[in-house]
Amino acid sequence: MPNPNDFAILFDASRCIGCKACQVACKQWNDLEAEKTENRGSYANPPRLTAHTWISMRYYEGLRPDGDPYFDFIRGSCMHCTHAPCVASCPTGAMAHREGGVVTVDEKTCIGCRFCVQACPYEAVHFDEAKGVVHKCTMCYDRISNGDQPACVKACPTDALTFGTYQEIRALAEERLRVLKERGYARANVYGLAELGGTHILYVLTEHPSQYDLPKAVREAEKRAATGWLSAGIAAAVLGAGLKFIVERREALKGGGQ
Amino acid sequence: MITVNFPNPIGEEHWGLWIVFYFFLAGATGGAYLLSVLFYGKDQGLVRRSALWAFLGVAVGAGLLVIDLGQPLRFLNLFLNGFHPASVMWLGSWFLVLAGAGLLWVYLRPTSRGVQQGVAVLVALVVGYTAVLLMQTAKPFWNASPLLPWLFLASAATAGGALLQLWYPHEKLSRLVTASALAEGAVLALHLIWTYPVATPGVLALLVGPLAWAFWGFVVVGWGLPLFLERRNVALAALLTLVGAFLLRYFVVMAGQV
Ligand code: SF4
Ligand code: SF4
Repeated sequence: MPNPNDFAILFDASRCIGCKACQVACKQWNDLEAEKTENRGSYANPPRLTAHTWISMRYYEGLRPDGDPYFDFIRGSCMHCTHAPCVASCPTGAMAHREGGVVTVDEKTCIGCRFCVQACPYEAVHFDEAKGVVHKCTMCYDRISNGDQPACVKACPTDALTFGTYQEIRALAEERLRVLKERGYARANVYGLAELGGTHILYVLTEHPSQYDLPKAVREAEKRAATGWLSAGIAAAVLGAGLKFIVERREALKGGGQ
Repeated sequence: MITVNFPNPIGEEHWGLWIVFYFFLAGATGGAYLLSVLFYGKDQGLVRRSALWAFLGVAVGAGLLVIDLGQPLRFLNLFLNGFHPASVMWLGSWFLVLAGAGLLWVYLRPTSRGVQQGVAVLVALVVGYTAVLLMQTAKPFWNASPLLPWLFLASAATAGGALLQLWYPHEKLSRLVTASALAEGAVLALHLIWTYPVATPGVLALLVGPLAWAFWGFVVVGWGLPLFLERRNVALAALLTLVGAFLLRYFVVMAGQV
């Protein structure tokens, strides 16, 4: 669980109009270079996060089984996980939690091994080929540690984004969930409470998380590694003993037969 | 800042050919040392010669890892920047250094069998951690089954045995290589079946997609053919097995990043 006084952001999908003000504000404040994009038949552009795009709106449209059209959006970015796989996997400590539970990379320490890129379940951290280090969302650490809001939150015209302490944000998320359920959004839910020790970005969603390509039941990197070490230990013992048995027993049998 | 660009068929951010070469070198030469200690402990000449090979494999492999970094000159951050045992890469870096030093010692000085077995444990950790490293990521083809360490260890035994066979075509080695190749094939099949539901794109890329050449190349040329040739032409079988060990690591590393 994040600390009640940690920094946190709520994204409320029921209020989002998909305008990308947050995506643009992030680029501007963090001075992120423009990227060449192409029309892929979706508003989502660029289609995924990169070293130079730290927020990317994703869009899901189509027809429900009952023929009702749907058009759902979500703000894709780093979730600032409490048990963050990127932090656990980083071999240099460059990726670490800062005050307030925010996860950032120290670009002067990062060696560019890209282990964090492989470890993040949200594909939120990426490699900058020109600089040889990784970049990702900082929750505008420069702004929030000076008492300001993150640039994305400030830019949102519909209050779909709210910034505050974890305690406030969580209470707000639960309140919004209650209201949505009352209004008949049967599948409404809050995402980020159970994932990876609780994330510092919470989502209020009107549909099941899988509708937004969000992973459920994400395993922590420490647990994945523990399974790996255990399996490797058993494998070494079984394979070593097995080979020894097969090869040397045959030899002994042969010797006995002579 | 210095960055080194390297040939990588799937983009600089991904783990590419340098990593595959490293996995191959560490697996094959490490496997040869492990087999020589486990099965030929009485033949000190063989143990010391395979220690030299494994030392070279580990040293060249470590060099490839450094080249692969986005910031190669900062590689010392792996060792001097604190204690990060949750990171399989941090642990692996230490295993590499310790195993390298141990192997050099075994090669240069007459050592007791206890020392040689202790170094074998370090070498097994080097061979095994590469699989645990992949398991710590968020990529389903690597982490959805616990079998990757089994696959890498079995393949190290097969490839290590083949390496020894090249200048020591001993009957016991043929049995060893055959047994471990059969285990390796079974583990690979099981891994594909196990991960198919969650890593469908990766598995399909291997079976019928862009990685099919490497996968079927391994199955036919690097695994099936050597099994068939084992009793007919040991040298050719051993060479093909080594090609197979490379292809195996190539397609495992690539399929995780499809
Ligand atoms: S979302 Fe990814 S990059 Fe962000 S803290 Fe979690 S693991 Fe790290
Ligand atoms: S790329 Fe940098 S931040 Fe990411 S794991 Fe490696 S050293 Fe840590």
